[in-house]
Amino acid sequence: MLILSLQNVSKDYLSDGQRIPALSNLSLDVKRGEFVALVGRSGCGKSTLLNLAGAMDFPTAGQVLVDGVSTSSLEDAGLTRLRREKVGFIFQSFQLLHTLTVFENVELPLLLAGKPNAREAARERLAWVELDDLGHRYPHQLSGGQMQRVAIARALIHSPSILLADEPTGNLDTTTGNVILELLRRLTRQQNTATIMATHSVEAAALADMVVQLRDGKIEGITRR
Amino acid sequence: MPRLLLFYRLMVRPLLQEPVRAALTVFAVALGVAVVLAIDLAGAAATGSFRSSMEALAGDNDLEVTASGGVPEDVVGTLVSLPYSIRISPRMENYAVIVDSKKSLPLIGLDFVGEGESFAQLDSASGAAPRVQENPQGPLEHFGDNDSIWLGTSLGYNVGAHIQLLINDQVREYTVRGVYPDSNGAESAIVMDIAAAQHALARYGRVDRILLKVPNAPGLNEWQQRLRGALPAGVEIHPQGTGTNENRKMLAAFRWNLQLLSYVSLVVGAFLIYNTISVSVVRRRPEIGIVRALGASRSAILFAFVGEAGCFGLAGALVGLPLGHFMATGAVKLMSATVESLYVSSQPGAIELSFTSALLALAIGVGIAVASAYSPAREAALVSPVEAMGRGRREYDVNIEKGRDLWLALALGLAAVAASRAPAIRGKPLFGYLAAILLVVASASAIPAFVHAITMFSSKLLGKLFGVEAMLASRSLAGSLRRTSVLVSALSTAIAMMTAVGIMVGSFRETVAVWMEDRLPADLYLRPGSSAAADRHPTISPGLAETIEKLPGVAAVERLRAYEIFYQEMPATLVSVDLDVLRTEPNSEYFSGRPREQVLAELRDSDAVVVSEPFTYKHGVKTGDSITLSLGEKQVTFRIADVYYDYSSERGSVLMDRKTMLRYLPDPAPSNLAIYVAPEAKLETVRAEIEQATAGHRVLLFSNRDIRAEAIRIFDRTFAITYALEAVAVIVAVMGIAGALLALVIDRRRELGLLRFLGGATGQIRKLILVEAGLLGLLANVAGLALGFALSLVLIYVINKQSFGWTIRFHWPVEILVAALTMVYAATVLAGLYPAEVAVRLNSLEVVHEE
Repeated sequence: MLILSLQNVSKDYLSDGQRIPALSNLSLDVKRGEFVALVGRSGCGKSTLLNLAGAMDFPTAGQVLVDGVSTSSLEDAGLTRLRREKVGFIFQSFQLLHTLTVFENVELPLLLAGKPNAREAARERLAWVELDDLGHRYPHQLSGGQMQRVAIARALIHSPSILLADEPTGNLDTTTGNVILELLRRLTRQQNTATIMATHSVEAAALADMVVQLRDGKIEGITRR
Repeated sequence: MPRLLLFYRLMVRPLLQEPVRAALTVFAVALGVAVVLAIDLAGAAATGSFRSSMEALAGDNDLEVTASGGVPEDVVGTLVSLPYSIRISPRMENYAVIVDSKKSLPLIGLDFVGEGESFAQLDSASGAAPRVQENPQGPLEHFGDNDSIWLGTSLGYNVGAHIQLLINDQVREYTVRGVYPDSNGAESAIVMDIAAAQHALARYGRVDRILLKVPNAPGLNEWQQRLRGALPAGVEIHPQGTGTNENRKMLAAFRWNLQLLSYVSLVVGAFLIYNTISVSVVRRRPEIGIVRALGASRSAILFAFVGEAGCFGLAGALVGLPLGHFMATGAVKLMSATVESLYVSSQPGAIELSFTSALLALAIGVGIAVASAYSPAREAALVSPVEAMGRGRREYDVNIEKGRDLWLALALGLAAVAASRAPAIRGKPLFGYLAAILLVVASASAIPAFVHAITMFSSKLLGKLFGVEAMLASRSLAGSLRRTSVLVSALSTAIAMMTAVGIMVGSFRETVAVWMEDRLPADLYLRPGSSAAADRHPTISPGLAETIEKLPGVAAVERLRAYEIFYQEMPATLVSVDLDVLRTEPNSEYFSGRPREQVLAELRDSDAVVVSEPFTYKHGVKTGDSITLSLGEKQVTFRIADVYYDYSSERGSVLMDRKTMLRYLPDPAPSNLAIYVAPEAKLETVRAEIEQATAGHRVLLFSNRDIRAEAIRIFDRTFAITYALEAVAVIVAVMGIAGALLALVIDRRRELGLLRFLGGATGQIRKLILVEAGLLGLLANVAGLALGFALSLVLIYVINKQSFGWTIRFHWPVEILVAALTMVYAATVLAGLYPAEVAVRLNSLEVVHEE
């Protein structure tokens, strides 16, 4: 089932009055349960693609359909609602709030959306990432791998259709990184989520069902496994 | 030069990139500097340049002869007959109002017959009596006329002009016979012949002062001793201007207290500079590491941050200079009115921004900024390069010892209690001020623990009540404990001073209102139309009381008389009441608690007096002591029968029976009349009859309610400036909150951007910042109210008592406090609006991916 569709998408940025293309006429379809790796050099457009897919930005041309809804047709409130329901984000530097406990960090998206039973959902997601006994700790009391697992649990708290991960292992050592990648792949299958991961790592890309090779804002090639 | 370039690149340029926040900090310092400067300049103009017209026109004399109720004229003859070469200048001194302009001016009667030629030659600019501009008929032709006057040029009247003057309760016609130069208007006066003045004032046989110019040898003390022997017992001789100097000393406490209040804004500003530099250090921690790694020394880092604060201080002082000068023009009016009401007649001088004042403002601005920045700057200098580059701000924020600071707060609080029990030093409540400072520092030390406890324990409750934004806001404040504590300290200090002054003034107001119920028992009060002041007691024509007494519906008329006297070389007021008329009120206003009737019975036609509370404080006397007063030509010893509460003047009063006063000072003219209306008569009818009977006199008639309202109006005007000072301190603090929230938004931009990724709506981001502002306001209000209560006790029972000698009964001015605190709270939340908008407009993509 198609969950994300980028159709002839282009994205330009303006810098000091000059147009800088980030993505050019790019098309990509992703189905539920697929684990997609975006690879390419820095500046090739990986993060831009993730931002468009996560309804955090609009394309300059073409359209991005999230579960059949064009992001360009939505106002700010509609985009916020779309993110709350359909999208989860994972970042390279974990992006946990240091003033909140693990439980509180994980349940934050549900609380922002005004949804009930956030604590039970958080407890369940933490069990998925095998951190169910660390819920009352603060982020600075965790290791890097544990922090990223908390970030994954947070990204999954609202059962999103699309999981967007930007260099999720970039700040981790190889062993921990591999554990995180395995976890992501397992959860993608179990939750039938479409996971799109931007990465520099060849090992990470090797775990993906589909590897999208980007170069200068264009798809250079797609490898399916 | 390279260092300056580096300083510009690394310290100044980042400030320019945040112009709003930098401007808020600069303006906060500017307001603090401006307030201090304004009070200093206005104080100097209203009281410091107190050399009044009376003195400016006194000439180059050495000694002055005075007596309570006036010096008998025959003393002039006695002095003339002495075998010494002394210049003798008797003077009448009072006040008159120019009817057209309603301007009140000193009225000076000079002995033109004896000294006419010298007045025609002397120049006021030389410190001597005025040089009179000749009129076409010659200056001396009209000297003896009762309708001739001479005026200062600044009043704008030409020779030959006719003007009406209100003197006591009579309007009289005068002709301007000449004008004299008065450079800035401060020396303006109405000059007339001494006989004409006696006629106008209906005071014959006495003069107010005799000025003496004695030869250089022997010394002034020797001349004083010699001449004292020739004078009657009650007549005193002092170096000229003694009264002025004593008045100036008396005003010192007033100026001193206002100056201290003005420093509150600076203290609040200091907290904010501390916060600004702390934020700067936190933000640039990685930069500090890099610069240190590239070869910068610790002292270079220290100087960089102290220099940054110095820039804020310098910019603030430069803006504060003209602002202070402008604010002084408003302050001087309020201060002069208070000086007139409570202390002494004076005309405000010009506001002069001297080089010293400007230098002082610069020193205060830069000094306070540098001093408050030293601690965070030192912390920046001490951090190692590796640590600075490797760790974030969390390390810095948790570097605060709540427990230790709480113990410190307790110790400081106990020290404050001890200081508040110490006596005044040379009339100044120095330990009282120390107690107030200790309380402020104790509060600042306790605030981290208070903020931590409240924010941590309330976050869940807040989350349930106001949503996840409130929970996040609460946690964010707890997470930045040092910054939050500094902000709460700054705002709570301002609120505390506002609360303390509010409670003190409210208590004072209530005390005065209750006191007036006892002191003003009559139905109507009548006083002369010419303006009165603490040292100025115009009189009513003596026959008027008898006329009113005979009117139908008037039950009784009480004659009250007041004189300015000197006791122990300090100005005081001598008051007489008519004990045959005075009604008994149920409440006692005496220290002994005895009924009024019982106390006043002791005064009846005897040499016993009651004295006011400030009098006992100023002169160290108590019930049962004796005081010797110079009255007329006699010195009389009176027994103090009791002490009464009195809030009408700070100078201290002595009250006696009218019969006793007339024995020594036989002038029957009353200063005020208290009129009692017969129970069966209608007040309005009697009032109309009195107005008709006094039609030929300029008198003011007040109902009991009106006179109380007038007293409260004067009271409120007196304290208007203290409210203004507190308002400025609160404005400074609220501006600081706005600046700090802006910094908070910029520092936490990644976190705020992340919330957008996690599904946060723009409204939620806005609400988060506004809730943070609201929480800051709430914490500051609670802490400020508690500290303010403690400070109000120090103000009421220590500082006020030791400065002015008034007993104030504690009273919670609930309405005023609720209104003020609500306003401050609303202002704090509003201060979050702009930072909230900045937060909403953040580009989430950029800020989240910044690293």
